[in-house]
Amino acid sequence: MELRNVWIIGQKELRDARRSRWLLLFGIAFSLLSLSLAWLGLSSFFGSGVAGFGRTAASLVNLVLLLVPLIGLTLGALAVAGERERGTLLCLLAQPVAAGEVLYGKFLGLSLALGASLAAGFGATGAVIAWRAGGAQVGAYLAMVGLAALLAMAALALGLLISCLTRSGAGAAGAALFAWLALAFLGDLGVMASALALKLDIRALLAVSLLNPLQAFKLAAVVAVRGGGEVLGPAGAFAADRFGAALLPIAVSILAAWIVAPLGAAGVVLRRRGAV
Amino acid sequence: MLVAGCLPGSAVARTLHVSPSEPRTSLAAALQEARDGDRIDVEGGTYAAPVEISRSVELVGRGWPTIDGGGTGTVVRLRAAGIRLAGFRVRGSGSTLEAEDAAIAVDGPDAVVEDNRIEDALFGILLSKADRSVVRRNRIAGKNLDEARRGDAVRAWYTHDLRLEDNEVARGRDVVIWYSRGASIRRNHVHDGRYGIHFMFCDDALVESNRLADNSVGTYLMYSRRVRLRRNWIAGNRGPSGYGVGLKDMDDAVLEENLLLDNRIGVYIDNSPRELDAATRMSGNVVAYNDVGLEMQPLLRRNFLSDNSFADNQEQVVISGGGELRGNFWSVAGRGNYWSDYRGYDADGDGIGDLPYRAQRFFEHLADRRPELRLFLYSPVTAAIDLAARAFPLIQPQPKLEDERPLMRPAAPPGWSPPAAPRGWRFAAASGGLLAIAGLFSLSPSLPTPARRRPAPGGPAPTRTTEIMLHMHEVSRRFGRLVAVDRLSLDVRRGEAVALWGRNGAGKTTALRCALGLLSCDGAVQLGGLDVRAHGKDCRRSVGFVPQEIRFHDDLAVAETLEFYARLRGVGAPSLGALDRLGLADQLPKRVGELSGGRKRLLAFAVALLGDPPLLLLDEPMSNLDPVVRESFFDLLAEMKAAGTTLLFTSHRPEEVFRLADRVIVLERGRRVAEGAPGDVGALLGGGPRLHIGLPAERIEEALALLGGHGLASCRNGRGLHVAVAPFDKAKPIRILVANGFPVEDFDVEWEKRS
Repeated sequence: MELRNVWIIGQKELRDARRSRWLLLFGIAFSLLSLSLAWLGLSSFFGSGVAGFGRTAASLVNLVLLLVPLIGLTLGALAVAGERERGTLLCLLAQPVAAGEVLYGKFLGLSLALGASLAAGFGATGAVIAWRAGGAQVGAYLAMVGLAALLAMAALALGLLISCLTRSGAGAAGAALFAWLALAFLGDLGVMASALALKLDIRALLAVSLLNPLQAFKLAAVVAVRGGGEVLGPAGAFAADRFGAALLPIAVSILAAWIVAPLGAAGVVLRRRGAV
Repeated sequence: MLVAGCLPGSAVARTLHVSPSEPRTSLAAALQEARDGDRIDVEGGTYAAPVEISRSVELVGRGWPTIDGGGTGTVVRLRAAGIRLAGFRVRGSGSTLEAEDAAIAVDGPDAVVEDNRIEDALFGILLSKADRSVVRRNRIAGKNLDEARRGDAVRAWYTHDLRLEDNEVARGRDVVIWYSRGASIRRNHVHDGRYGIHFMFCDDALVESNRLADNSVGTYLMYSRRVRLRRNWIAGNRGPSGYGVGLKDMDDAVLEENLLLDNRIGVYIDNSPRELDAATRMSGNVVAYNDVGLEMQPLLRRNFLSDNSFADNQEQVVISGGGELRGNFWSVAGRGNYWSDYRGYDADGDGIGDLPYRAQRFFEHLADRRPELRLFLYSPVTAAIDLAARAFPLIQPQPKLEDERPLMRPAAPPGWSPPAAPRGWRFAAASGGLLAIAGLFSLSPSLPTPARRRPAPGGPAPTRTTEIMLHMHEVSRRFGRLVAVDRLSLDVRRGEAVALWGRNGAGKTTALRCALGLLSCDGAVQLGGLDVRAHGKDCRRSVGFVPQEIRFHDDLAVAETLEFYARLRGVGAPSLGALDRLGLADQLPKRVGELSGGRKRLLAFAVALLGDPPLLLLDEPMSNLDPVVRESFFDLLAEMKAAGTTLLFTSHRPEEVFRLADRVIVLERGRRVAEGAPGDVGALLGGGPRLHIGLPAERIEEALALLGGHGLASCRNGRGLHVAVAPFDKAKPIRILVANGFPVEDFDVEWEKRS
């Protein structure tokens, strides 16, 4: 694999992303919502600075869990299927590039574009936090930004896999939406129902829930902001007690696995299916 | 030096001076010399420890004299009654928990320990049977140890009427009072410890205006009566228990006007009150931004809550183990509490909601019973569950509490003003960095591209000297049930121009895509001697490809498109001369989406020619081109062929085949059905060319008669006529018609299969 080709395609993708209405919409929505949440979170009837960073961080975690997987999955899903449907993938793959280079280039470009959107949203929000609650945990905040970027990359990778598996852009977008529903709602609902019906013990509950990259992100973000998992009840306390300082690296590793595995599978599928 | 003075009602009191430079340099000697009531002034310097004070003296430091224990035992011990110790830096106690190594140990009553700085201490100040002692304005910092190995920052044992005021305490285990009545603990700041303030069997105490932040637990009060906790700031206490205030077996506790913020659990009530005639009263407190506002056990009774503000807690009230709270009072004298999740209204404007507040969130209900489900806190699914429960009241749980007089507005404690937010330069810098990153990627027109690495020596590269440029052997490709290419074998030699000829759907396009490695297939494909499947990228370096349907990125300009593909191929952009030849030189600024179909095909051809590849694969190269451009294009391809470029192209136009091809391979249903020179194709296919000639309708019959007279078989067809012609004399009917004054409007050549 030639990194140069990955970079060239990544640049092209980044350039396209700058013109993408989806990404623009996401960037604006994320920035406005995170700004509003921070403003409201730090404002208080009892005076600014009283609410503390934790409330804002919790709101931002919630926002990231909802929006970032949605845009990551959608952008990823449209990336290959859209080009295949338009026929541009054929022209691209007829050049001396490998399918993997095209895929990873797209992943790189979209990751940078999505990362830039997140950086804009978190940067503007951070400015509000600096103004309203200057003593907040800057390290925890930056860790949360990094984790959100990892989650975005995991969603992108999954979206790209969906994109390689589907023929049309519409089909890919539909599948991405379903994947988002499954990750954000249905999966957790299923685990909760299983926990109630099957009386899953804490160890099993934690393990099953962490199969979901959104839960891995949440656990890592909570550990980064709160210094432990106790806020997440006995299961979080168990995780903190059992894994201690390794909890954050474990959650990050789960996110990394959610990037590497779908991307690898997408590479295999694209190589096998080719350009049409 | 000795100075005599008078003490009222006593013998003459003296003041002794101790200094590192004076004759009396020993603190121990001065203490030995001193009598009850004397004062010893100690100048700055370091003095040996341990120091034991056995007389009722005042020991006053000037210029921060240091008593350093050197890491062994207790540093200063006050053994007599009424000793005052002030103005010292006391540091370096031992580290043995069992020995209770302390900076200052007070064993007598009426001691005053004030304005000292205590550093690197296992235990800070230990008081034992030191009734009426005063500990104030000290700064106490524990050793930098794990919480489990620390000693208490302050511990009082059987010390009644203790006054603990205005101290700053950091990094200790607890500030803990045992078996002591009447303690007054005011205006202290305790942070980074385990329990900020901890009571065990301490009745009639006042805890007021303290700041208890960032400890494991803010204050944990146990087994005591009539403790009053008021106007304290209790925030950020988030250890494993993480209570802002914990009450265990407490009777007649009063919590009023405290701020309980951002703790794991704002107030935790465990078996309080325990006596039948006792009660707990909570009023005027702000319980906000905690993970849990209030946690209680279901069997508790006689807790009276009014005028509290429960604002934006992740869960407002939790019942340990689930159930309902009965026998507690959520309003007193007609006033309930403020609940930020209250959804009622106040029609009469009396500040009290007209509907009761009911705590009945479904997720909380589940989590109360199965606390491990709190793992899903902050997840979108919790909000979805609550929304569903509100939409379908059938599944809504029983309310765990009901406040019939909820307040419409929160209230801060009277006279309370919020703290000024500290400066956030680091946060601002981090945010600036994030915005800069966003700007870099959002605004930068292009980012630098690393230089292409030269191919590794010995790596695969298609040879430019091999005789067989393309070799396909037994290549098959299916799309579902359809066999698009069926065991196709062919070779294309260097410098050859080979036409793949066949009707639509014959498999020409699929065969070309397989040849390029764009489609997976069975069989073997080699380009320039390399296996396409194993070395597809290297193979494609020596191939230029023009697809049948030209699809570039419409939003790119022509110049950008050429630049993008040139960079991918690692070659320079085409010269203006070459572009001019293709009619693209003046189209460079245009967006691809604005080009006509013909120009897009020319652009595709320009892309295919990037790097001057030795083999061109052209899929219907002439489609969408107007006659003039087509002729020019023919000339260009002929020149390239003459220069040695190998051509493999698909076509169903006879004139393209006859003018360009050295060899024709005829495909039908994916199979090769014939192969030969272009002149033999008619015989191979059992057919021949025919002309479609466009004429005015009124002259078609006349033209049919004329052509029939020249031995040409013709028939009427739409707005013209069809004439069968010889492969190398296709213009004959046009010549005849023009010579006889017929206005030939249009013509086209088709292949007619004659069976």
